[in-house]
Amino acid sequence: MKRTALALALSCAWGVATNARAQSTDEKLRILQQEIDELKAQVQSAPTGSAAPAVPATTISGYGEFNYNNYKSDERPTQADLRRFVVGFHHRFDERLTFHSEVEFEHAVVSKDDEGEAEIEQAWVNYKFSDAMNLKGGLFLIPLGILNETHEPPTYYGVERNEVETRIIPTTWRELGAGVHGLLAGGLRYDVGITTGFDSGKLDDPSTGVRSAHQEGQLANGHDLSVYGALNYRSRGLLLGGGVFTGNTGQNGASNPLLKGVDARLTMWDVHAQYKVGGLELQAVYADGKLADADQLNAAILATSAEPFAAPNRMKGAYVQAAYHVYKRDKLDFAPFVRLESIDIRQQEDPANGLFQDPANHERITTAGFNFWVHPQVVLKADVQRYRTDATKDRFDLGVGYMF
Amino acid sequence: MRRSLFALVLGLCAAAQALGEVYQTPAAFVAEVLGTVPAPRVLWLTREVQAGAAAILDHPPANLRQRYWSDGAKSVWILEEIGKEELMTAGFVISQGRIDHVRMLAYRESRGQEVRDPSFLKQFAGAGLDKADRLDRGIDGISGATLSVHAMERMARLALYFERRSRE
Repeated sequence: MKRTALALALSCAWGVATNARAQSTDEKLRILQQEIDELKAQVQSAPTGSAAPAVPATTISGYGEFNYNNYKSDERPTQADLRRFVVGFHHRFDERLTFHSEVEFEHAVVSKDDEGEAEIEQAWVNYKFSDAMNLKGGLFLIPLGILNETHEPPTYYGVERNEVETRIIPTTWRELGAGVHGLLAGGLRYDVGITTGFDSGKLDDPSTGVRSAHQEGQLANGHDLSVYGALNYRSRGLLLGGGVFTGNTGQNGASNPLLKGVDARLTMWDVHAQYKVGGLELQAVYADGKLADADQLNAAILATSAEPFAAPNRMKGAYVQAAYHVYKRDKLDFAPFVRLESIDIRQQEDPANGLFQDPANHERITTAGFNFWVHPQVVLKADVQRYRTDATKDRFDLGVGYMF
Repeated sequence: MRRSLFALVLGLCAAAQALGEVYQTPAAFVAEVLGTVPAPRVLWLTREVQAGAAAILDHPPANLRQRYWSDGAKSVWILEEIGKEELMTAGFVISQGRIDHVRMLAYRESRGQEVRDPSFLKQFAGAGLDKADRLDRGIDGISGATLSVHAMERMARLALYFERRSRE
């Protein structure tokens, strides 16, 4: 009897314990399911973030190039040069107001006894109302040609920048001023503004047209301002555009008193085109400039220059270029190219005073070589250049360029 | 005359302001593509997926999971990447392992907005990935928008890669 009672008690106790454990497990499962559901809801409602890293308000960009020039003639030295090292600083004050700048160092060493230069290539503030309307102010690039605004080495062919957009359009050409720019419907980009202009009293090298007279935002004489305008249509693989820049350059004689009251108006314009289809890339630029009052410029040069020269009065140049991407795989991209250029810088001759046209300012250049991108932003370059007029410039070039 | 000019400038500014830089919200894009905005799905970026994404982006992905929307036949992926200085946001619609179409939803750089051009974006339609996770076709670039074009190519590859991994 005692045994039976004991067994009954034990079985009851076992049953109670088992039931309690079952209840506990069910409860735990219910709680777990509830927690899983809550987590699922959280995962679905919480932002998933972006694969792109967060963009800080202040960012850094850069580009640069290292070049090697091996001249055929002994008259020019074979040289390797850290041609330029550029760092850009950009800041976003808010969603619409931004700052953009580039600081450039040329030729590696900047000191009183060296060839190097340190300069601010751009420093401007942009207020974006929309894609179609931006206001900008500061030191910014003038939108003429293709190279002046897009001049990072991986974006152009050849170790050296082309001569049309160096000697006719003085790349990298920037002015202090204000402008309005934007992208209109249909892919048409406009850019208009008012800026500082050239100072013809500073002319000292006619081989580069008016390049030596551009002021680069350095205590720029601002008596005579200039205006510019550019239109560019871009679509898949296609760029068609042109621009004009005009303004007086006498600057009321600020740099040369003999130019007081002389307008010396400079008007420069260009048209350009680029077409990429499949592996083929075609590009062409025509640039033209006129500098008025060249007789008075000659008189001013004669009176003040230790080595007088005939003032440039007309500058024009053109090039056509073709490239073909023969090998493109993953990040590697190999493209041979050829470019034909013509430069014509006419000078105001004054035989009575010994001022004559420099024949080297009529030049034709053939460049052939290749760009080899080892990464879309890093390029190795090699080319040969032949100059029809000044054969001492014939050379073989090697270069490395990058941008980020 | 001056008042009219001032009013014109103000009007232009107001009109321009209204256009903004966000062309379409992700929700509106998803709704347009799928007819509704279904509950988002999530692709967890395991180490293996992260490694694949990093190889495409040239930097590790900053997120641990990627949200996407699907109706079973099509999936929508909203991705962001830096062009030169700023993020751009693009929506990719993928069907059967190929891009159906692409739209730029937001572009924040001060230049290079030409990547919104429909004729440029149209090139991505029909593109898939090859065995090395590259696009199986060439994309013609846009002069002056080199870095933004490269960013678009990376995002297109990433969308296709994510979509493939979401089916595994």
